[in-house]
Amino acid sequence: MLDAFIDGLFLVLQWKAFSLMLVGMGLGFCVGLLPGIGGAATLALMIPFIFKMSPAEAFAFLLGMHSVAATTGDITSVLFGVPGEAISAATVVDGYPMAKKGEAGRALGAALMSSLLGALIGAVALALAIPIVRPLVLTFGSPELFMLAVIGISCITSLSGSNARGQIKGFAMGLLGLLVSTIGQERQSGSLRFDLGLMYLWDGLDFVPVLVGIFAIPEIIDLAVRGTSIAGDRPPENLSSGVLQGVKDTFRHFWLVFRCSIIGVFVGILPGAGGGVAQWMAYAHSVQSAKDTKDREGFGKGDIRGVLGPGAANNSKEGGELIPTVAFGVPGSGAMAILLSGFLIMGIMPGPDMLTKHLALTFSMVWTLVIANIITVILCLVILDQLAKLTYIRGSLIIPFVLLLVFVGSYTANGQIADLLVTLLFGVLSYFMVLFGWPRPPFVLGFVLGKVIETYLFISMSRYGFGWLTHPIVVALIVLMAVVIAYPYIQQRRQSAAGVAGA
Amino acid sequence: MRKGQVLFCLLLIAVSGFAIFSASGWTFKAKLFPLSVSIPLLILATAQLLMILFGKEQTNDSAAMDIDFATDVPPELVRRRVIGVFCWIVSFILLVFLLGFPVTVPLFIFLFLKYQSEVSWLTSIMSTAITWGGFYLLFQWLVHIQFQDGAIQTWLGM
Repeated sequence: MLDAFIDGLFLVLQWKAFSLMLVGMGLGFCVGLLPGIGGAATLALMIPFIFKMSPAEAFAFLLGMHSVAATTGDITSVLFGVPGEAISAATVVDGYPMAKKGEAGRALGAALMSSLLGALIGAVALALAIPIVRPLVLTFGSPELFMLAVIGISCITSLSGSNARGQIKGFAMGLLGLLVSTIGQERQSGSLRFDLGLMYLWDGLDFVPVLVGIFAIPEIIDLAVRGTSIAGDRPPENLSSGVLQGVKDTFRHFWLVFRCSIIGVFVGILPGAGGGVAQWMAYAHSVQSAKDTKDREGFGKGDIRGVLGPGAANNSKEGGELIPTVAFGVPGSGAMAILLSGFLIMGIMPGPDMLTKHLALTFSMVWTLVIANIITVILCLVILDQLAKLTYIRGSLIIPFVLLLVFVGSYTANGQIADLLVTLLFGVLSYFMVLFGWPRPPFVLGFVLGKVIETYLFISMSRYGFGWLTHPIVVALIVLMAVVIAYPYIQQRRQSAAGVAGA
Repeated sequence: MRKGQVLFCLLLIAVSGFAIFSASGWTFKAKLFPLSVSIPLLILATAQLLMILFGKEQTNDSAAMDIDFATDVPPELVRRRVIGVFCWIVSFILLVFLLGFPVTVPLFIFLFLKYQSEVSWLTSIMSTAITWGGFYLLFQWLVHIQFQDGAIQTWLGM
């Protein structure tokens, strides 16, 4: 085992594999910054280039690119409020308000360092979990996956205002997100739903145009309204110390970063849940980690913990997703499905052989995740000061370029003008949501989880009737869901009791 | 603001009502999930509307966990700037429809910088050239995104 572990490192450090990893990282860096062009799409585009590579070189190239895209996706989320990747949307909620407060350097430092720690924890989990993951994945059937997605939805309680009216708004937005996710052809019966007679809607709404519209358009409008730079008229912070502060924050909240990384790994292991879910669950957990309602108030307004949690989960889930892909040939996401085709092109069959015959190759993937992220974060930390200075450029100079990124990004979803209209429509909806105090995160959570929930619900019902409700893991997850929903109320009550006692 | 809140609730009621009405004619499998989502949405939106109309003023505890818009800009200026940026966004989409991305990108960047941002001719032209170069290198040369021709090019058979 130890020999294979060391051999895996040497496989990555061979000059050709290492050079290809650096090329992949460069591509991943650009792709991560560009909204819409996801890591999965780029993996697909780069697959034809691996035919002449050895397996170790091919995976160094592909994984180097994919893992870096997840890291740099947070940069535009923080700087401009535009998610670089669909899975970087949660970072916008607190990262961009920090940039508006003149703390872009701190937010970026925290996002990158938490991403690094998350990636390392994900890689360690991959290395440790391979021999023991089989029973875990096999015990999670569709009822358990359905319940897990419902737990994700129950995180809405933590993403909404704390009183009854705030909770109603949060749940209404979550339901609206779920409803929007049902647009298009129903997968079980093939019926068309809410298609308005438009062929464009048959496949449902793509994540990218919706998410980019939801997060980017209100920020652009606000920037235009303020007529200042993103950081406003605040005096420029000492950017270097800001970045350092962000790095320190990561270690100050180490256990939060650790817990969110574990959430990322766990969600990554389960097929179909997706990176967006991991990020939002981590964000909700960050909010839950607030000591009391007063401590919670900072979330959404620029709380560093709202950047750390999603950043860590976003990258740790890469290691998690690789576990079922490598061990069983069951891809955890679209990107992993494309990576799986890379395995087959290389003539390697995922499964038990990866833990015996190709163990060194498996460990080379772990090392690629580690080395690529370390190099990226070190390079980014060097240039972060310059990136953070972008938030001090006059807004009217930034807006056309951000608009360009937003609309080219959304166009890449389907290559149709309708993608731009969807972005505009959800942008306008999102503007009014912010204006009237209806929270956007629950909407996004509902939209991201809708298809997963419906699919697993149908499979569960078709296969087990209502019997699945008595599965032991389902019962345990129902209890967990009740705790997730009740926790904010318990926290509030405890705080009120403490207030009364204090008085 | 209260009027806007009421209108937003009415929008949600209309959307959920439309969803219930549309779904009622579908097969059981197709309507189960949309109905189980839209009926509670209708109830919550109605409850919220009633609270706005007949309840107490909102406290800070009901504030959304989300960004705040600028509050230090006069409302009239806010309205003007919102309409202004909205017009630019719509113009961008219209230009893409008419001319396609490769032509719209330099044209839009130049027009925005020159007439909205009011920067010098030289800076506008330089920024436009750099952006167009970056756009071409990244999206067309590297990622090979196929951009549709604009309607005008199609009409002219170009």
